[in-house]
Amino acid sequence: MTWAVEATGLRKTYPSGDGAVEAVRGVDLQVRTGEVFGFLGPNGAGKSTTVRMLTTLLTITGGTASVAGVDVAKDPDGVRRKIGVALQEAGLDPRQTGRELLTLQARLFGNTTAEAKDIAQAQLELVDLVEAGDRRVKGYSGGMKRRLDLASALVHEPEVLFLDEPTTGLDPASRLTIWDEVRRINGHGTTVFLTTQYLEEADQLCDRLAIIDGGRIVLEGTPAELKADLRQRKGLQADPTLDDVFLDATGRTRTKVAGEVAEVQA
Amino acid sequence: MKDTLVLTQRALREALRTPEAVIPTLFIPLFFLVVNVGQAGKIFPGSSTAFLHGQGYAGFQLPSSLLLGASFGSAAMFLVEDIEGGYFDRLRAAPISRTALVLSRLLAESVKALVLTSAMVAISLLFGVRIASGIGGFLLILLLNGSWAVVYAGFMQLIALRTRSGAATQSGGLVFFPLLFLTPSFVPRDMLTRPMEIAASCNPVTYIMEGLRTLVLGDVDWGSVGLAFAVVGALGVVMLFLNVRMIRNYD
Repeated sequence: MTWAVEATGLRKTYPSGDGAVEAVRGVDLQVRTGEVFGFLGPNGAGKSTTVRMLTTLLTITGGTASVAGVDVAKDPDGVRRKIGVALQEAGLDPRQTGRELLTLQARLFGNTTAEAKDIAQAQLELVDLVEAGDRRVKGYSGGMKRRLDLASALVHEPEVLFLDEPTTGLDPASRLTIWDEVRRINGHGTTVFLTTQYLEEADQLCDRLAIIDGGRIVLEGTPAELKADLRQRKGLQADPTLDDVFLDATGRTRTKVAGEVAEVQA
Repeated sequence: MKDTLVLTQRALREALRTPEAVIPTLFIPLFFLVVNVGQAGKIFPGSSTAFLHGQGYAGFQLPSSLLLGASFGSAAMFLVEDIEGGYFDRLRAAPISRTALVLSRLLAESVKALVLTSAMVAISLLFGVRIASGIGGFLLILLLNGSWAVVYAGFMQLIALRTRSGAATQSGGLVFFPLLFLTPSFVPRDMLTRPMEIAASCNPVTYIMEGLRTLVLGDVDWGSVGLAFAVVGALGVVMLFLNVRMIRNYD
C-alpha cells in the first residue's frame, strides 16, 4: 500500500542551555492516501513540530519520513511540490490583495502569469472571496484570512494537505465553513493531515486519528474504534466521547485539566 | 531566477505600499546634509578650500548622506514581519530556491537605493552640487551606492534571520552610525587626528565614501573608485554567502 504520509522513528531535538530538549521522541505514523487523518495532542505535545518536519520547514534529527512517496530529508523540493500547507498562524502578506497573493503563490509553483491569474480567480471563487479579492489582506476578517490561507495552500492541487489547527480562534460559523471546505477538498481525493485541539472537530472530520503526548504517539485508530476500546476497558454503560478518549490516552483528568485552566486564568 | 524576480516584484510592491517606511530614508539623509553644511559650510568655503575642488561643502557632504540613505536596511524589517506573521513559512514551503528567498529582497533593496540615490542627487543640485564626473560618474555613483545598499541590507537580513526579532534587527541597524562617523565624513582622511585616521582607515565605509566623493567633486581618482568597488564587491560576496548559508540552515 502507498502511504500518503509515512514516518518511522521521527525525532526532533533542540539544543538547550542545559543539554537538549526532545520535542518529538520517535514518532511512527502511517496515513492512508485519500483519508482525513487527525493528529491530536495537548499543548507542547509535539504536534506542530511533527507537522513542520513533515512539511520540510524543520530539519529531522532522527528517523525517516516520506510524504506522497517522496523522502522528506532527501528531496524536500519534491515534497514541497506535492503538499499544501496551512499553518497555525494564517501565513498571509497583509500588504497584498487576496488576488495578488494567490497569483504569486501560483507563480512560485511554476505557472505562467496568465495561468496564475486564472488559478487565482478560480480559487477566489472556490472560497467565496471574489468580491474581496482586490482588497488588501490586512482588512480581511479572521474567517476570510483562513479561507484565503486555505486557497493559497491549494493553488497547485496538492496530493497531501497539512492543516495545523485551521479553526483555532474562529467563530462557530467560520469554523463550519472551514469544515465544509476540508470535506470538499478531501472529496476530490486530497489526503488531509489535520492537527486540532478541538475533539469535536476531529470527531466530525477525521477517518482516523493519532494522539501524541510527550513527543510520542500514545493512541491511534478510528474515532469509533477508540471510543469502543475505552468503553470496553472501563466497562462503561455508554459510548464515551472523544474527549474521554483523549483524557484517558494522555493521562489527564478533567480535574487536572480544569486546574490547568484555572492556573492560566490566575 | 524566475522565482527571484517574482519575489523581487512583490518586495517592491510592498515598499510602494509602505511610503511611511520609505520617506524617512530620503528625508533623514537630506536633513543631515542640510545640517552639516549649515554647521561647517562657512569653515570650508569652496573658493579657498583645496579639497572641495571649487565646489561648495555640500558636494563634500553628499556621499555621507547617500551612504546613510542606503543604510536603512528596511528589507530586513519587512523580512521580520514575514517571519513573525507566518508568510515566510508559506514561501519556505514552496518548491523554490532558498537563495531566491534572500536574494529577492536584496535586489529590491538595490532598486530602492537607485531611486533614492537619484532623488538625493537631484535634490542636492539645488544646493549647488554638481556631479563633476558627468553622466558616467553619476551612473557609477548609482552603482556604488546601490551595491552598498545590498551589502548593508544583507547584514541586516542576517540579524533578522538569526534573531527573528524586529527589535533586535532595528538595533542592529544602528551599527551604521558609528561606521559613518568613523570615516572622513567632515574632512579628508589626511586632516584627521592620527587615532581617527587609523580608525577610518580600518573602516570599509571610508573607501566607499572616498570613491563616491571623488566622483562627485571631480578630479576623478580612479584608484579610489576602483578600491571602493573592490571593497563593496568583497563585502557583497561575503554577505551573499552568509545569507545563503543562513537560509539553508534556517530551522
